[in-house]
Amino acid sequence: MVFFIFALKRKMMFLRHNYTATRLVFLFLSGMLLLFIVAPLLGLFFSTSLPALFETIKDTQVQGSIALTLGVSALFTLLAGLFALPLAYIMARKEFPGKAFIQGLIDIPIVLPHSAAGIALLGFISRDSALGRLADIMGLNLVGSPFAIGVAMAFVSVPFLINAARDGFEAVPQRLEQAARSLGASPFRVFRQISLPLAKPSVITGLVLMFARGMSEFGAVVIVAYHPMTTPVLIFDRFNSFGLDYARPVAVLFIIICILVFMALRLLGRKKSKL
Amino acid sequence: MLSCRDLEYKAGSFHLKGFSLELKQGDYCALLGPSGSGKTVILELIAGLRPLKKGAVIIDGTDCTLLPPQHRPVGILFQDYALFPHMSVYKNIAWPLEIRKMKTNEIKAAVVSLTSDLDIERLMDRMPGSLSGGEKQRVALARTLAAHPKVLLLDEPLSALDAPLREQSALLLKKVSQTGITILHVTHDQTEVSSLANRQINIGSIT
Repeated sequence: MVFFIFALKRKMMFLRHNYTATRLVFLFLSGMLLLFIVAPLLGLFFSTSLPALFETIKDTQVQGSIALTLGVSALFTLLAGLFALPLAYIMARKEFPGKAFIQGLIDIPIVLPHSAAGIALLGFISRDSALGRLADIMGLNLVGSPFAIGVAMAFVSVPFLINAARDGFEAVPQRLEQAARSLGASPFRVFRQISLPLAKPSVITGLVLMFARGMSEFGAVVIVAYHPMTTPVLIFDRFNSFGLDYARPVAVLFIIICILVFMALRLLGRKKSKL
Repeated sequence: MLSCRDLEYKAGSFHLKGFSLELKQGDYCALLGPSGSGKTVILELIAGLRPLKKGAVIIDGTDCTLLPPQHRPVGILFQDYALFPHMSVYKNIAWPLEIRKMKTNEIKAAVVSLTSDLDIERLMDRMPGSLSGGEKQRVALARTLAAHPKVLLLDEPLSALDAPLREQSALLLKKVSQTGITILHVTHDQTEVSSLANRQINIGSIT
């Protein structure tokens, strides 16, 4: 009995030393936040029946919207990369007057309300604009086209790519670039064979973030193109027209696809970085 | 072979003014000065890695002052070696030759010859991260020499090495200098270059 009380006292002392009040409060607050993220998603999954989910998978409208969302987001992420990587490199390597202003400009889409971004883009591609008139001459209407969807996705998501790539380039020691130049390489070769491969993990992270942000975009996309419907717009449309039960399986399916795509991209990125 | 005339460079509070130097082919010149005196900056100015405010850099009769680094016949061995961490030792040494669009078999022969001269053949498949300081230095030297520079700039090449390795590296540098290449060796330690250099320059006073 005495031994039992002694052991209990030891245990209490151990707990008192190792689980301080601060640690317990931190654990509690962290747990609450994680629950806040997970609970709605779990609720969504548990309130969707498997037959309804399978029915949604077979729905051609849903299939079309998912293909459109993934395809346009991927295409515009790659297109934006062509412009974003040189800009990220300049931001990482060069000092020039107005650099802070340019950085602010890059971050604007992050702080802008996305519906406002959509309105701004609508003015940019509508038939009244120069770009819209040019497309009109060629018999195209940009508003409500996959192009408009891509532009809206890219506008709100490209800062994630630029900033991640800039951080990646900043982390590459300038000494390596100088060594490469003195060994006979042109600046472009140095970028292609030294800076870019060394910044690759950050660039891949940026591409994944941009792709993810683009495909989940609703506010800007719904203004420039209600039709053809991307999946976020379709979820909203079904919720608005038919209610929660009808929108829920599409949401579940899209979340599953998003998670699978990101896992695949992350794995691919990790594998390529190891090579 | 190497002529620096009245070099001037300014960056922030650092100001280098009126630095001149004349080296003949095969010279091994030690550039001495305390830390922060601008020795490395001089090397970078000769290599074209920093823009000159005034002055001229003439190498083998050609005015290189306005030439970009890749077009100067200069090799520079950095203090931290600057090996490309994503390339194997072989690829690091072969890289300057690939840039010059040499054939694969010629590149291979050149790399084998260099690695054998510097006693690093066994390291060919290793990645730079797994090499010791002395091994890294040899690989960096092989890579620099692969580009066949007329002038070799050494930025404190022995300072990061342990005493026994220093001696080995000094012997290696002596061997390299005997090939007739012009060498400018930056250091803050006079004893390091006493057996190597045939000329010495203290920043501010040319001897």
